[in-house]
Amino acid sequence: MKTAQELRAGNVIDVSGEPMVILKAEYSRSGRNGSVVKMKMKGLLSGSGKETVYAADDKFEQIILDKKDCTYSYYADPMYVFMDEEYNQYEVEEENLGDAVNYLTDGMEDKCEVTFYEGKAISVELPNTIVREVEYTEPAVRGDTSGKVMKPAKLVGSGFELPVAAFIEIGDKIEIDTRSNEFKKRAN
Amino acid sequence: MGVSLPRGCDIFCTVVDNFGDIGVCWRLARQLAHEHGFTVRLWVDNLHSFGNMLPELDADLPAQMCRSVEIRLWEDAMPLVEPADLVIGAFACKLPESYIAAMAARKAKPVWLNLEYLSAEDWVETHHQLPSPHPQLALTKYFFFPGFTPKTGGLLIEHDLLARRDVFQQDEEAQSSYWQSLNVPPRAANELRVSLFSYENEAMHELLRTWEQGAQPVTCLLPEGRALPQVVRYFEQQFGKAGDVWQRGNLRVHVLPFVEQSLYDELLWACDVNFVRGEDSCVRAQWAGKPFIWQIYPQHDGVHQEKLAALQVRYADGLPEEVASAVRDLWLAWNGGADIAGAWGRFDDQRDQIDKHGLAWAEQLSGNNLALNLLDFSHQVA
Repeated sequence: MKTAQELRAGNVIDVSGEPMVILKAEYSRSGRNGSVVKMKMKGLLSGSGKETVYAADDKFEQIILDKKDCTYSYYADPMYVFMDEEYNQYEVEEENLGDAVNYLTDGMEDKCEVTFYEGKAISVELPNTIVREVEYTEPAVRGDTSGKVMKPAKLVGSGFELPVAAFIEIGDKIEIDTRSNEFKKRAN
Repeated sequence: MGVSLPRGCDIFCTVVDNFGDIGVCWRLARQLAHEHGFTVRLWVDNLHSFGNMLPELDADLPAQMCRSVEIRLWEDAMPLVEPADLVIGAFACKLPESYIAAMAARKAKPVWLNLEYLSAEDWVETHHQLPSPHPQLALTKYFFFPGFTPKTGGLLIEHDLLARRDVFQQDEEAQSSYWQSLNVPPRAANELRVSLFSYENEAMHELLRTWEQGAQPVTCLLPEGRALPQVVRYFEQQFGKAGDVWQRGNLRVHVLPFVEQSLYDELLWACDVNFVRGEDSCVRAQWAGKPFIWQIYPQHDGVHQEKLAALQVRYADGLPEEVASAVRDLWLAWNGGADIAGAWGRFDDQRDQIDKHGLAWAEQLSGNNLALNLLDFSHQVA
């Protein structure tokens, strides 16, 4: 069993008898030290998606499906293509990628974990931490090295924008937590 | 569709900090029973705490009717009961497994809501009314978030509350009678009346000293509770109890008994400034329309500071910067910040403007009635 706060995009859980793949999980602090997790999920049998919310300590049966280590290969509209070590290719719909789509770039070397259900690739999990280059951000704020003052930055490749520390500059490589889409630190 | 609105309601409440959780649940229970004709069962795991705000409650009775609400002691061994049509679990409390199984076994499934904690943060809007399908059973719970914007569930407010407040605030005789009922003397000229309902607070000593040494006489009304020992120490007493009165310099403190909700509302209406804590009294202070200072329930990793800032920003929206900053500074100082003496001075300087703003703010919020919203939503998902 896993609690809602332990689940992440790509996990598959049993909800009232239907296997559901989690596309996005967003953790928020409620009152009195309680928390909630908003989850976007998709039924593997029905194909229908839904947004849900759970208490962080709600428990779920995780369904363990076949997984393979792959790398992102290319985009073949409208599918994203991943390749395993034996050069087998697997297509994944954008909707099933969740937030992973924010970090897919041509030539990326990060190992991705592709999950299969009845032979079909249904989700992709990225490493918890990845490094990406900043394509554009406003000039760095001198003197602030606390990391508390944030500004938006656009990533090379995907064009995804996220808040980064004010001292980050164009061309910097940054570490990102893919579970929360949060900037962690400068990588270079 | 086509299902009639449910008329029976079970509300489940676990008492965490004595008054906040049960305060909200008791208000909701009464409102559903009195204003909407529901048959309400309120399941509470601690009747002794509840008794503080409901004097006629017999804490030794596991089942009793009070003010048209059936109050049941929620024990580990849950009796077999037919679940109501509308089931509300307050503040993420875990309903008994046997009760959940009984809900799932019903042919017409009950509407099951989790009434969440109040927060002014933006994310609440995107979580409000989302389903939470049970992991094992064919049963869906919905999260219902109170809040301050139209995209949230709103706030608990009785249909006639603001009208009763206005009548009370314009009726000097009613206010005199109220003070008399508390054994508090009538107002003196130029006196400031402050209610002080708080958790333990590091700034307490400095605040009391500021009032003591200030130019204006301050009468502080202190309900019995967690703040009392600090005030006792300030006045170098051995202990304190309801009825005690202590005076030093320009500060006089009256210790009040913990009163039931309607009398506490009148205290908020009758005072010039209200210090409140947690969720329930914070909402009631906003309905009072008077300047208020909120002490938020502290959380272990400081996340409460974001929640404090979120309400402060919403509340102060539209105020001139010097007024907004006076509110912000005092709220921060009362929630672990520094220099409460300076912050109190700036707040007091702006009190007339904050006073006017408070009435407009209450009026603005009053259209978003939680009980009505909850029933509308129940109707949609039934």
